[in-house]
Amino acid sequence: MSQQTSNSPAQDALLRASIDRSLRHPVMFFFTSGAAWLAVSIVLGVIASAKVVSPNFLACSSWLNYGRVFPAHVNALVYGWGAQAAFGAIIWLMARLSRRACCAPGVILAAGHAWNLAVSLGVLGILSGHGTGMPWMEFPSFVWPALFLAYTAIVIWSLVQMRVRPGVSTYISQWFLAGATIWFPWVLLTAFALLHCLPGHPVMAAGINAWYKSALLLLFFAPVGMGTAYYLVPKVSGTPVQSYSLAKVGFWTLAVIAPWAGMQKLAGAPIPVWLPYVGAAATVLFALPAFAVAGNLLTTAFKAGSDTIAHSPTLRFTIAGLFGLVAFGLACVVLNLPESTLPLTQFTLSGYGFDLLGLYGFFTFVMFGAIYFIVPRVTLREWLSRRLITTHFILSVYGVGAIAFVALFGGLQQGIGQEQFSMPWENAADRAYPYAIATTIAWCFILFSNLFFFLHLTLMWLRLGRRSSHPTLLDGGHGGNPHGPEGDIDNAGPLHSH
Amino acid sequence: MTFRTFLLGLAASFGIAWLSVVVVPFLKMRDLQPIVLKEDVDGKDGIYFPKRSGRVANGATVYAQNGCYLCHTQVVRPTYAGNDLFRADWGGLKDAGDRGDTRRETNAYDFQGEKFAQIGVTRQGPDLSNIGLRVENAYAKNVSPEAWLYAHLYNPRADVTRAKSNCPPYRFLFEEKKVLGNRSREALPFESPAGTEIVPSAEAKALVSYLLSLKKDDAPPASLNFAPVKKK
Repeated sequence: MSQQTSNSPAQDALLRASIDRSLRHPVMFFFTSGAAWLAVSIVLGVIASAKVVSPNFLACSSWLNYGRVFPAHVNALVYGWGAQAAFGAIIWLMARLSRRACCAPGVILAAGHAWNLAVSLGVLGILSGHGTGMPWMEFPSFVWPALFLAYTAIVIWSLVQMRVRPGVSTYISQWFLAGATIWFPWVLLTAFALLHCLPGHPVMAAGINAWYKSALLLLFFAPVGMGTAYYLVPKVSGTPVQSYSLAKVGFWTLAVIAPWAGMQKLAGAPIPVWLPYVGAAATVLFALPAFAVAGNLLTTAFKAGSDTIAHSPTLRFTIAGLFGLVAFGLACVVLNLPESTLPLTQFTLSGYGFDLLGLYGFFTFVMFGAIYFIVPRVTLREWLSRRLITTHFILSVYGVGAIAFVALFGGLQQGIGQEQFSMPWENAADRAYPYAIATTIAWCFILFSNLFFFLHLTLMWLRLGRRSSHPTLLDGGHGGNPHGPEGDIDNAGPLHSH
Repeated sequence: MTFRTFLLGLAASFGIAWLSVVVVPFLKMRDLQPIVLKEDVDGKDGIYFPKRSGRVANGATVYAQNGCYLCHTQVVRPTYAGNDLFRADWGGLKDAGDRGDTRRETNAYDFQGEKFAQIGVTRQGPDLSNIGLRVENAYAKNVSPEAWLYAHLYNPRADVTRAKSNCPPYRFLFEEKKVLGNRSREALPFESPAGTEIVPSAEAKALVSYLLSLKKDDAPPASLNFAPVKKK
């Protein structure tokens, strides 16, 4: 990248191998346990969305009540999958970019187990009826300090690595990732202190909760996805970033705009009236960093040629994620215009669709790209089958496409029904019904697509991957090789020489 | 750029927003004072600091734990933010007998006794700001308001006019008990095995008490009243 280094290529390869070796167990732990939580979350998501369409489905048990399954699904997705995939990407990328092997893999691994335990207790707490009733913060209050401590023990090493890195230059990915690692605890501690420790006004508490939810999406998941994409796209395509100054503009617009967003969820509620509208304005403006990052990286990738994108699993997922980011930026604008769409979308399906578009359509796709890139490097094994990867990709795109459709059109349709005050209320529910079915179908697609991913990742975790120095590429023109053509993406570290 | 400059940049860009939209509004709204009423503008003396009766804190907990907020909101938006006030029975009652039209937007005093205002996530179901009023005045015809809500929570689709509702049934908030002596006054009109009856649990009672406390149509003081002046 932009690192100035005097090392010889052989020394570089040794350094990279030592970094990968030091982080093998923590990174694989976060990716596999994250994937397991993704499975849990998707199953809960299928159940919850089926219940919207057919409320008597599995109505026998209090544990499977819609009001508990849905928050369990969202929290498992956010803290089980999203956060852990982000941890895996952060610790590996920060180590590689700071050119330092990790000095505390054991601590990270132990803290990772603590994080998983806390998330498990939180999800069980929600299902057993001990949720707090605050969206995205439904875990019982005792879980949050544990999450914070585990988080600190996981990421603090990455910040130390960045601080003590050799040389003065940094790469834009480090900015995004370091920003996310600093914003996350700040936001988490603020919300925990103001909602659970200090008594405040109940409506302001709801406002802080809405801000927390938005900040988690725009100041943690978005920058982690952006930072990772800024690493993967130039690396795999072998092309320098199109415009490095645009990359900086993207970072600082995000840093300045995103902290103001969130309270538009409370438009019309009795809090100071400017708060919801500054929130709406900031969310609309979030399109700027979204378009800056996506535009910059898409031009970079297409400059390298569409063949590279078609062949590399990593690049394919990352590019799809960047198109997801464009859609997310559009949704930020379209769903949040005061006096036009905001009253229509404030209390509709579109809120859920919007969250999923950011969390799945953008972030998760980039994380899949990162997993397809990182796992072969830390396990020293190549992915087994390009067909499994292709199936995973195509079905995921269909599932997320359906969710985006629900976000942009279903929510608006439902909102139009809600605002027609001269019509009976049932009218709004009727308008939402087909889109609720679409959500269920989308979740089924996503479940199906991830079965292929889970299988493949488990095999890699068991170290059953191919022992080869040739990465698994898609759509090969060389008919003879079942794993795709031999690529020029270097994964032949010194350990492969024998 | 050094690590330190980077941290300072982050602290400034995030800190300003953090102080402005979170910390300062939190501190300013923390201690809501009663409003002193004045005879000439409000029509009466005293203070405006509404109290609620019923098991508000317990009921709000049951409401939160079972995810009611996912489909029901508790906010009647002013007309600049939505059309909630135009519905006949959301912001109050269009025709509340002697009191006339009591509809008004939600104010900051409406959540007394609650820790977290359940503004809500979506409106799969209707707004509940005034569900207590609606049950008492419109829904509960031949039964007590409590009995109507128990039956509705037990099976939201039992009433033929609500057959299309997608509200989940909350049967786990009710208990099947042996009838010893007289039947319970609170027994639900649903079938159960011979010699037993279905009665609300403590949680159901708290929830229903809370729902019936949701009556947010008291006349606000002039300083909070944004309704257009009525012609006499």
